[in-house]
Amino acid sequence: MATSRVSNEADVVEVVRAARESNRTLEIVGHGTKRGFGRPVTCADMLDLSDLRGIVTYEPDEMIITARAATPVAEIEAALAEKNQRLGFEPGDCGPLFGAPASSATIGGVLSASCDGSAAVRYGRCRDHLLGFRAVNGFGEAYKGGGKVVKNVTGFDLPKLFCGAMGTLGPLTEVTLRVFPKAQLSQTFAVGNLSPREGLSLLRRVWSSPLESTGLAFHDGTAFIRVEGSRSALDEKIALLRALSAKDLQQMEDGDEIFRNIASGKLIAGAEGSLWRIHVPPASAAQLVSELQPISWCADIAGALFWAVCNSGQPVPAIGRHFGARTISLRGGDHSPPFEPEDPVRAELTRRIKAAFDPLRLFNAGRMWEGV
Amino acid sequence: MIALPQPDPEIIRQREKIVAALKRLVPGGVISEPAGLTAYDGDALTAYRQAPLACVLPKTKDEVSAVLAFAHEAGVPIVPRGAGTSLSGGALPRADGILLGFGRMARILEIDLENLCVVAEPGGTNAALTRAVEGHGFYYAPDPSSQIACTIGGNIAENSGGLHCLKYGITTHNLLGVEFALPDGARVRFGGKTQDGDGLDLLGIVCGSEGLLGAVVEATVRILPKPPVTRTLLVAFHSVPDSGTCVANIIAAGIIPAAMEFMDRRCIEAIELYCAPGYPNAEAILIIEVDGLAAEVADGVARISEIARASGAHEVREAADERERHALWKGRKAAFSAMGRLAPDMLCMDGTIPRRALHAVLARMAEMAEEYGLGFCNVFHAGDGNLHPLIIFDVMKPGELERAEAFGAEILRLCVSVGGVLTGEHGVGVEKRDLMPEMFSEADLAQQQRLKCAFDAGGLLNPGKVFPTLSACIEQGHAHVKRGQMRHAELPRF
Repeated sequence: MATSRVSNEADVVEVVRAARESNRTLEIVGHGTKRGFGRPVTCADMLDLSDLRGIVTYEPDEMIITARAATPVAEIEAALAEKNQRLGFEPGDCGPLFGAPASSATIGGVLSASCDGSAAVRYGRCRDHLLGFRAVNGFGEAYKGGGKVVKNVTGFDLPKLFCGAMGTLGPLTEVTLRVFPKAQLSQTFAVGNLSPREGLSLLRRVWSSPLESTGLAFHDGTAFIRVEGSRSALDEKIALLRALSAKDLQQMEDGDEIFRNIASGKLIAGAEGSLWRIHVPPASAAQLVSELQPISWCADIAGALFWAVCNSGQPVPAIGRHFGARTISLRGGDHSPPFEPEDPVRAELTRRIKAAFDPLRLFNAGRMWEGV
Repeated sequence: MIALPQPDPEIIRQREKIVAALKRLVPGGVISEPAGLTAYDGDALTAYRQAPLACVLPKTKDEVSAVLAFAHEAGVPIVPRGAGTSLSGGALPRADGILLGFGRMARILEIDLENLCVVAEPGGTNAALTRAVEGHGFYYAPDPSSQIACTIGGNIAENSGGLHCLKYGITTHNLLGVEFALPDGARVRFGGKTQDGDGLDLLGIVCGSEGLLGAVVEATVRILPKPPVTRTLLVAFHSVPDSGTCVANIIAAGIIPAAMEFMDRRCIEAIELYCAPGYPNAEAILIIEVDGLAAEVADGVARISEIARASGAHEVREAADERERHALWKGRKAAFSAMGRLAPDMLCMDGTIPRRALHAVLARMAEMAEEYGLGFCNVFHAGDGNLHPLIIFDVMKPGELERAEAFGAEILRLCVSVGGVLTGEHGVGVEKRDLMPEMFSEADLAQQQRLKCAFDAGGLLNPGKVFPTLSACIEQGHAHVKRGQMRHAELPRF
């Protein structure tokens, strides 16, 4: 197995063309923090993008940042913080679930694995933030998708397709993201002693209210609710939150860290068993929990996103389907493939789309499903 | 004129058989007589007219699938249509194509307040979504100006925006799921009451695909709690650059208003003549709206007013009540009609630029208008740099349409040259099709066309739109059954 370490797009093109000619498959790696996510891939060679890093342009007034694909998320967040801005989807850091050090993810990796954080409840998932990209396809051509302005409907919305594609459509080389202003003030409140049903119902009550909450999570009997704004705005929001919860609000010192830990699966990862990421219609979340009886779990995004540790061997996807859920097995789900099978019509479409970008199946083939 | 594809004479010769087959598939839902077809001969890109081969109006998903399967088998192009309000010619029919209209699939299927969503058929209007839930205190956020007529299916196809997308996003951000009919009639679901979190984001790719990949037969959209307080400011400037500075300063201060709309002098004057909303005498005005809880809105209004004055505004006026607020918006929403009074025809452009380029772009556009000898005005969504220059002309005057199109094309080239894009919310359609190479390289376009082929190997869905050249899908295993089969009229499908 040879590793090609590249530092610019032209190098990526060259490596892909060589791989194409010799028909040798490529595992695409940034910092490799999520190599354990999805089906194990057995590629002939590795395309190491870790030197393809650095912020290309950051225009705070335009609220847009362009960075090379393997730029560490931490570097981007630091640059934004200097200008009092942030990434709206508050990327989760799930590398440690696969044994990687914390805070070492790259922006390309986070987008490819769709690591949506708690603020997504207000600002949208990572797919809503990737405005444009450059990439190299399986024909060995560098190309771009999307644009570098917030509002753009020119041509197909290819950036959406790359979020969550697990690198199967080819290596990203550069990404353009929209960014958001940081709130003047941000406070997180805990409401404790709640049953799962009460807690999840509280999250949805707040979600359905005009609070515009930027964090709505639940773990171990406690609902965590983050509200933001100016001093006067926050006072009004807190009063409304009190009325909605009809319980004591405990203000948390380390609110952002709580949400970060939830969005990275860290709070529950220590439990023994199979680990799952589950997307579910929020109103079905409580029923799903009562049916699954997870060993440990937490809910994010008002109950639309779940992290659960379940008994090994439990048919989590089949149970989830009763509640309109889609599940991904992150660890130890030895009785289930990491990604649920698609229905036949959709599976055929997925196969064709893969072929449209990567006809020789050079990139991360088999990461999601056989051949994809 | 932008060249439209040559109709296939072979298909036109088969017209009667095609109409008969459609009538069997959708009884009582086929329009084939010339007078009836005139009503469907175009959309809001009014300079282009073309009656379809036939128009079919299915009532059910199965009928949609049956029509698609028939067209797929027979090799007949399909043009999906909502209410025909596209400004880019997205629903422009073809002489050799079936127009697949969704006007009879307009029901709201489910209101799910627990999951904050509404499930609807594609042919219902955008405004009907809000009407269905406003009694419960909710609304559907994307609000294109045509919202009383345009359909949710059309909004999804075009990824429509609106006045309030600065804060609430465009259609794609408010769409949770669709049931989608593929070109061969097979149906598949992407997302649902929550977006899929696994696999390729196919919901994301069909939204904004301009009818080139298939047809939405059911949509699930996010609804939001209605903000308790909405306040609207009118800010007037003696100079256009000052208004641009004001916009930049508001954004730089970390404020994201719900809406921030710009109009120039020509536009203000035309609107005043048309419906007199009470706009002041100014070179430029901004309508800025802030919504949310009372304290947050009060805070936003105070900060915006201060920034506006510091940026050189000579008047900052808040709508005193709902009536005044509606009047301010009525003027803005009537910009199109108001300009329409000044000339028989109009082109509404839709480029987006980085805000920093605003002044240079506006100045250059004024020079161009002189060069082309045409009237125009500027309306735009200032917060996100989405420009809507309206060019007025008279199609009956020789050469004016060509000059207007050339002027429009030059504006869009200018947008791209400063780092912007061809279309912010209206779509490429026919109108901007031939400008795609300005923004995308051959490799960029080839990749998009390969994606098109993955959905529609036969190239039958809305051909002639979006891509400047039709490329045959040559991927093996997708060999398309050509319409040669139609010559076998004895086959039972007829």
